[in-house]
Amino acid sequence: MNRRLEMAALLAESSWHGLRAAGLAGGIAVATIATALFMLGAFALVVVNMEGLLDDFGRELQITAYLEEGLTEAEAEALAQGVGTVEGVEAVAYVSKAEALERFREMAGGAALLDGLEGNPLPASLSISLRPERRTPEGLVILQASLDGLPGIEELAHGQEWVEGYARLAALLRVAGYALGVVLSLAALLIVANTIRLGLFARSDEVEIFELVGASRLFVRTPFLVEGFIQGALGGAIAALLLALAFGLLVPELRYGLSFFLGNAAPRFFDFGELVRLVGGGAGLGLGGAGLALLGSRG
Amino acid sequence: MALKPKLEAPAPLPPDVKRPEAPVRMYGVSKSYMPGSWALRNVSLEIGRGEFVFLTGASGAGKTTLLKLLFAAEQPTEGQILVLGRNIARLKGRAVPALRRQVGVVFQDFKLLNRRSVEENVGVSLDVLGSPRRRTRSRVFNMLRQVGLHERRAAPPRALSGGEQQRVAIARALVGEPEVLLADEPTGNLDPELSVEIIELMLAAADRGTAVIVATHDHSLLERYGKRVLRLEGGNLIDTRAGGLGAP
Repeated sequence: MNRRLEMAALLAESSWHGLRAAGLAGGIAVATIATALFMLGAFALVVVNMEGLLDDFGRELQITAYLEEGLTEAEAEALAQGVGTVEGVEAVAYVSKAEALERFREMAGGAALLDGLEGNPLPASLSISLRPERRTPEGLVILQASLDGLPGIEELAHGQEWVEGYARLAALLRVAGYALGVVLSLAALLIVANTIRLGLFARSDEVEIFELVGASRLFVRTPFLVEGFIQGALGGAIAALLLALAFGLLVPELRYGLSFFLGNAAPRFFDFGELVRLVGGGAGLGLGGAGLALLGSRG
Repeated sequence: MALKPKLEAPAPLPPDVKRPEAPVRMYGVSKSYMPGSWALRNVSLEIGRGEFVFLTGASGAGKTTLLKLLFAAEQPTEGQILVLGRNIARLKGRAVPALRRQVGVVFQDFKLLNRRSVEENVGVSLDVLGSPRRRTRSRVFNMLRQVGLHERRAAPPRALSGGEQQRVAIARALVGEPEVLLADEPTGNLDPELSVEIIELMLAAADRGTAVIVATHDHSLLERYGKRVLRLEGGNLIDTRAGGLGAP
C-alpha cells in the first residue's frame, strides 16, 4: 500500500479510537449540534413556506394595459402577442370588453346594478404577468416604461404600492432569516467548539504521548477534525429526523392556525437537496467547531 | 607503441579524517525555572554514537530536567544543546516532531495510552513514522518478545503490573531503533532480574549504535556494568568515565 494510503488508514483508525473514546462528551457534542440545527431547520421551514406563499402572491401580480376604443379583436390579439415578447413579461391574457363586463357583473354580485347601463362602458384590456425577477418595484417601473406608448395601449395600471409592500416583506423575511441563521450558527459553533475542547482536555494525555513520540501536528489534529465532522453530520441527521417527525405530528394539528399564514397552500417539508444541506451544515459546524477548539490548543 | 600510463592505487585515507559528531552535545547549559534558582548549572558533555551512560544523582538533582532538554520538552536558559546535529535552543516548534522520531524516551510514569492495547502502544512509535502496517506488526511482535510481553499484546496497559507497563514503555522507545535513547528510571519498578534484562536490552541498542542515557538511582547497576556515569549534584555535573562511584 502506498505511504499516503497507509497514513490515511492510520488516521482513520486513530479517528475511530477518538470517537469511541469521546463517549459522553461526544454524545453531548452530537446532541448540541442536533439541537442547534433543529432550531435553525425549524426557522428555515417557516421561511421556506412563507417565501413560497410570497411567490404565489407574486405570481398573481399583474399589470393591466387598457386598450384604446375601436381596436378590433385581431388588432388586440396582435398587440397581446407583441407585448408577450417584451423582456420581463411572463404571460399576456387578452380580456375583451364583453369579458370585462361579465367579470364586473360577477364582482358586483348580480345583474341588477348594470341593467340601467347603455352599451358597455368597460374597455378591453391585457392582463400582463411578470417574470419572478421583475416582481420588484424597480422591475415594474422598467417594464412599465417598455410598455408605455405602445400603439393601441391607452393606460397602464398596476399595484405599485402592493408590490412595494410585497418586496419589503420578502426582503425583511430573508434578512431576518439570514441574521437568525448567522446568530444560531455562531452560537452552535461556539458550543460545539467548547464541547470538542472538553473532549480534547479529557484526552490531553493521549495528545501529549503522541507529541512525545514525534507525531506531527497533522497526525495529532486530524482525528479530532474527523471526529468533529462525523459528530456534526450525525447531529445534522438527527436534527433532520426530528424535524420530519415534528412536521409530521404538528402540521395536521396546526393546519387551521397555519391557514392564516399560508392560505390554501399546503405546508411543505424540505426536499432531498435541502436535507443534504442540513446534514452537510451539521458536518461543517462540527468541523469548524473542532478547528476552533484546536486553534488555541498546544497540540 | 605508446603504453597507457599505469593507474596507481589511491592512497589510503588517513584514519579518522573526520570524526563523526557525537549525537548528544551540551555546552555550558544552564536551566532555571525561577529567578535565582538553577535546576542545571553550566553543564557540558558529549555522548558518542553507541555509548551507554548512566545519569545519577539525588532526587531533584536535575536528572529529569537534563533528559527533558535532550528531547526538546524544555528549552535551556543558557548554553547550546546539539542533538543529532539539531540545536535545541533554536529548534522551531514544527521541527520538534522530526527530532523526537529519532529519540526514544522511556518515562518514569510510563505515559501509556490506556485506551489502546499493548501492541498499539508500542506500534505508535512506528505509526508516526508512517511505517507500513504489516511491517509495524512484525517489528512490534519481535520487540514485545524481547521484553517478554508478546503473549499479552492484546491487553490494555491497565491490566498489566507496574513492571510490565515499564517494559511496554521500553519496547515503545526501542522499537523505532532510535539514534538516541533516554530512559528516566527505567528499572524503578522492576525486580533485580528483570532490571538486568532491561539494561541488557538497552546495551544491545547501544551495540547497534544508539547513544543511551539511563537515569537511575540504582547503584548496583552502576557497579555491575562499570559504564560511564554522569552524576548531578544540585544541578552541577560530575562526569566519571568509568563506574564505581560509591554511594553518594
